[in-house]
Amino acid sequence: MFSPFDLPDGIFLLITDELAAPADFALISSLISHLKCFNKTKIIYLSILESWNRLQSLCTKSGINLSPRSVSETLHFIDVLSHLPRLNTNEAPSLRIIYDLVAGILEGRQGGMIILDDISSLEWTGHSLEDLSRFCRALRVLCLKTKTTLIVRHHILAPNEPDELLRRLQQICSYHMDVRPLSSGRSGAVSGEIALHAGPSLLGSDSRPESVQVKLLSRQRALQYRLTDSDVVFFERGSSRGVL
Amino acid sequence: MSSFKRKSAKHSGTLPGTRPSPGSVATLLTSTGIPSLDDVLGGGLPLSCSLLVAAPDPHSSYGELVQKYFIVQGLVSSQDVLLIDDNPLDFVKGCMWTTSDLNCKVFGEEEEERSDERIKIAWRYESMKQFQTTVGQSIANTENFCRAFDLTSRIPDSVIQRALYSKQLEVCDVTSFQSTALVLSEVVSRIEQILASRSKTTPLRICLPALGSPGWGDSSSEDLLHFLRRTRMLVRRHTNACLSISLPPHLSVEDWSGRGWIEKIGWSTDALITLAAFTANPSMTSLFPSHHGLVHIHTLPAPFTFLPPSDKFSLLRGLSAAADSSGSGENNLAFKCTRKRFIIETMHLDLEGGISERRTNPSSTAREFTGTKLIETSGERAGVPKAGLANVEVELEEEKVRAEQSTNPTAPVSGKGSTQGQAMTETGVPSRRKVNKPKKKVGFQTDRPDVYDF
Repeated sequence: MFSPFDLPDGIFLLITDELAAPADFALISSLISHLKCFNKTKIIYLSILESWNRLQSLCTKSGINLSPRSVSETLHFIDVLSHLPRLNTNEAPSLRIIYDLVAGILEGRQGGMIILDDISSLEWTGHSLEDLSRFCRALRVLCLKTKTTLIVRHHILAPNEPDELLRRLQQICSYHMDVRPLSSGRSGAVSGEIALHAGPSLLGSDSRPESVQVKLLSRQRALQYRLTDSDVVFFERGSSRGVL
Repeated sequence: MSSFKRKSAKHSGTLPGTRPSPGSVATLLTSTGIPSLDDVLGGGLPLSCSLLVAAPDPHSSYGELVQKYFIVQGLVSSQDVLLIDDNPLDFVKGCMWTTSDLNCKVFGEEEEERSDERIKIAWRYESMKQFQTTVGQSIANTENFCRAFDLTSRIPDSVIQRALYSKQLEVCDVTSFQSTALVLSEVVSRIEQILASRSKTTPLRICLPALGSPGWGDSSSEDLLHFLRRTRMLVRRHTNACLSISLPPHLSVEDWSGRGWIEKIGWSTDALITLAAFTANPSMTSLFPSHHGLVHIHTLPAPFTFLPPSDKFSLLRGLSAAADSSGSGENNLAFKCTRKRFIIETMHLDLEGGISERRTNPSSTAREFTGTKLIETSGERAGVPKAGLANVEVELEEEKVRAEQSTNPTAPVSGKGSTQGQAMTETGVPSRRKVNKPKKKVGFQTDRPDVYDF
């Protein structure tokens, strides 16, 4: 996983963000980091909002050409909406289609990465909470079997009132990356801040190797970042290193 | 002859009414028809992006006004326009049109604002450039990218007929669909069909002035969000199209369909801006008499970058490194609609803010000050009623003035020695108070009760 977090592979990373501080950079940095480390593992990008052109452009600026990987089928970009029932139909939308698609791609493979960008949009467009919970649990189990990293993005609507879907995701995630805007509003020098929390599956298990190496960040000690066109710069809160 | 050639975008200028983004030549921008809104968006609306304007005030229709600018800008710059509405032809007929005089006050300040130029406020502010709260546009840009429109003139019928005949303007009446329950999916199919059948030489503007209004049938929030996502993805796939949508007032409020509606639609589009007019709130009208509403920026387009280009290039927002307030927060923005045009500008206190650096330099011409009274020497203000002017009072300690006179007789304060001396004798006895630190007090008094001392 991308620096400075250096999370281990095979985890379930939940990334939450808000409209004023989108976490696109965290997803794409994770993708780029994985592509640089592993050449032949399968990567599945389940997109609801992100377009292939933008993803390709951002990766190209970081020195990664996605086209050959797409041709060689090591990278699968799946537009989720195009696989789901159309508007105004009475057909109950089911995420089973997406799960079967992902399971088919990962069949017989070990290692890799699944990115779900994002799960909130599915909830807002009519998928039930139960469906989404089951879908995430099924993906998590699939990832555990195939030692695949799972990254799920969730948009927070009200920062101080976690919704039910977020509560359920927090219960099954390994780590929770909390991307937030500055409480003082937008700034040209600081784009936002990131906190990193451990999920319940890692709490109280300090002996596990993956939890020993990761440095968690509470909200009080959150790392601040500044976005550039194709990169992100991290710096500690209160220091002028990132600003000057 | 040098073998070096300037690197330039290959497609620059090939598409009418577009220009490359200042940050990336791969991104083509098109104008919304409002220069200040273009600035907020980072130079214009990028092709393949969608803009959503929410106008929650039920007594005004600023969202539709933005869409009218969007349509006529497309027609003027020879781009194709697809208008989807419940009464599209009437909507087009209500659009504004270009002004004939390019140098008229559409580009500058209004007449009443210009009258302020005659006011001499104080010698140290004399060399400052005019205070700017919004962005204008150059004549060169006007011809190619953004034209000047006059709200007092209407689009000629001949222009509409010609555009309809040549298929430059295509209208889609949502009430003509057979089933109101399937309007949204029918519209998506129609847009998909049109985009697939078009050539890539002319940009297409897709305009939905009142998505979700009664003419669109009874749509749920899920349907609307699904619609926004699908249209956004469609436009993303077609790099020569852009989309502009306005929501009716009842869909523009925060709590429609439960918590976080504005955030949900913000995630579903590339750019979301709320124009919150004051008409329903008399207290806001009295607080900000020179503005008609606040501008809230929720999200901005970033078609190929992490950082929206607006953060780097918008003068109005003031987040860029070149801005005077670099490193500090974002400017507050408000809008006003004058008789001739719609403007977004910075909203701030009287003495601070604006989009350009204001620095005071010592003036070459001297004025006389004594006590708390300003002595007029030029007589420029003669005949100008005092009530309408910004009066400035400058207080200086007498000892300091005298000390400067004695040590440096050619100093600006005593530059007109005889006049100064005369003024001093005219204005009474100088103060004998002894203070450790010389105090300087400047008070700005306008006809309004707000007074700032520093």
